[in-house]
Amino acid sequence: LRDGALEGELAPALTIKDSVPFALQVFSHVISQLFSSILAGKSQSRGLVVVSFSRSPSFYLDLLKKGTDVASIQILDCYSDPLGWKDQLREVKHMDKLYNSIIELGKGLVGGGKIRFSIAIDSADEMLRHAPVSSVARLLSNLRSHDQISSIFWLLHSDLHEARVTAVLEYLSSIVASLEPENFSLIKHNSKKGKFHVRFKKRNGRVRVMSEEVHIEQSGINFINQGLVPKVQFSLQLSEKERIDKANVVLPFEHQGNGKPIQIYDGRRSLVDGSGEIIYYRDSDDEMPDSDEDPDDDLDI
Amino acid sequence: MAAAKTRTSTFSRNLSTAPPSHGPGLKCGPNGTVFLSSGIPDLDKILGGGFPLGSLVMVMEDAEAPHHMLLLRNFMAQGLVLGQHLLYSSPARDPRGFLGTLPSPAASKDDKSRERDPDQEKGLRIAWQYKKYFGENQLDGQRDGKHEYSNEFDLRKPLERHFINGPRIDCVSIQDSDLSTLRDRCATFLSQFPRNDGSISCAGRIAIQSFCAPQCAYSNMEWDMLSFIRSLKSMVRSSNSVAIVTFPPSLLSPSFCKRWQHMADTLLSVKAIQDEDKELAQLLTGYQDMVGFLNVHKVARINTQVPVILEATTFSIKLQKRRYLVLECLNQAPVDGSSGTSYGTSGGCSSSSKTGNLDF
Repeated sequence: LRDGALEGELAPALTIKDSVPFALQVFSHVISQLFSSILAGKSQSRGLVVVSFSRSPSFYLDLLKKGTDVASIQILDCYSDPLGWKDQLREVKHMDKLYNSIIELGKGLVGGGKIRFSIAIDSADEMLRHAPVSSVARLLSNLRSHDQISSIFWLLHSDLHEARVTAVLEYLSSIVASLEPENFSLIKHNSKKGKFHVRFKKRNGRVRVMSEEVHIEQSGINFINQGLVPKVQFSLQLSEKERIDKANVVLPFEHQGNGKPIQIYDGRRSLVDGSGEIIYYRDSDDEMPDSDEDPDDDLDI
Repeated sequence: MAAAKTRTSTFSRNLSTAPPSHGPGLKCGPNGTVFLSSGIPDLDKILGGGFPLGSLVMVMEDAEAPHHMLLLRNFMAQGLVLGQHLLYSSPARDPRGFLGTLPSPAASKDDKSRERDPDQEKGLRIAWQYKKYFGENQLDGQRDGKHEYSNEFDLRKPLERHFINGPRIDCVSIQDSDLSTLRDRCATFLSQFPRNDGSISCAGRIAIQSFCAPQCAYSNMEWDMLSFIRSLKSMVRSSNSVAIVTFPPSLLSPSFCKRWQHMADTLLSVKAIQDEDKELAQLLTGYQDMVGFLNVHKVARINTQVPVILEATTFSIKLQKRRYLVLECLNQAPVDGSSGTSYGTSGGCSSSSKTGNLDF
């Protein structure tokens, strides 16, 4: 998501689907990560538009503010008045109007031209409640093909919809992340662990699958980094003992300049004097004894 | 490679007149069928010559991979290069954009490297399990005429502009239009190629991409879509053209998915491969180069009752040198003697390599 879209291609899109209560935390995690990389300049997009349906805009402002300026974020408020009772303009049903307002907000954020922005849709469920699947699909695919959109992601509660609707949203996205509770029989509110599976559709047509464990804590969400390290033949992780040993190794340039005489191991002398010897028998006595000398002495310059 | 064996019967036609000569890009086949190339020479071989005129080809997409686009690109580019007419429709707002990604025919250096001296090979005694690799050389007899029928396409080189801007291409966006306008466009397109008994001057190709894509307004009207396909099939059958329709089966209800599959004369499906799948890598050779699988479910037989039984139905899609689309049979990787894996793989394996019964 961070790398964004290439010219002429559809923007990457992520569906976070779940059936457990802590998906909203995952969504907040993703959004805050993306936002921090936007602010740090590491991502292709320069701004973030949040379309909030199921939570109030002030929640997102609080989440993402945290001491940074909010000039790079715009929130489209679809939460307060979705059916347009108070204010006709706020009606959410018309996907075309929604599309236009998202694009306007985004343009207002980053200007016109080539600069791109990202979109986070709070909950696709709410969109599907108000509009038929084909209009939502059309909205999403048009957003993806817009030149100025770097990436887009949304949350979907898969147990609220028919299988076809979930299939449609998966079809439209290039990354699908699904959350499962750890143990199906324990779907209680205090079950705090789960698994996070991701399927990436790569450009060459292959699918990469990854999964991680997820722990919910008071302060936030914690991804236990089990599966994201690619499976190679080498073991890239260190055990505790290995970690301690690694910390104990003194690197060669670290111990110089400590005041002790500098000892550079050159391979010819053993480290501890006198305990070992290297005995060398020459292969033949005819061998010229200049093999130890500097070969450059032969040069005639 | 699997090649469909053409059955020659004891009946022979009384050809009083010379067989009609056809326009470029058309080849006569058995039973009076005329073929058009799919743009992928390997696929033509598998299907026994190509797509027969008047058939409807359906391709089942995989929602996770864009391989159907590769098939469509080659099909469309082949038609344009040979001067055949093309009607393309897709759910994008501007289908013309896709035409920029069509590949250009590859330079034909490969022909020379493939010519072998046939006399030399007669002295070779080939072990039986390798015979399948040598069978294909005998079919290379008519290399000269090949470029008039099919080309290999270089997927990295875009097609020259003058092919795309010609008058022979028509594009329709199905996002906003409804089925009746689409049907009218197809009907007017196909009326240019009526079928009669004379020689065929030119043929047409129709390519419809992602027909039941969710962005289209009609995508939940399943019966209407089915009747569109049926009328398309009948229009195509009475004209000299071939239509390809691709669709993602996961977005249809299962009964309609089956109905659509029955509508097809030739049915293909593409599947994605998981990256870094160790089990699959152990099971198949050449796993690293594969980008996907192609399954051939049905092959069109319009003028005859004899079905085609292929030696293999699953092929791996590979991009040679990242440019040329190649279809290969799946080969089971050599299995070490201690573990005896069963044949129960998801793709059908055509080679009968032995599993580990050799314990010395």
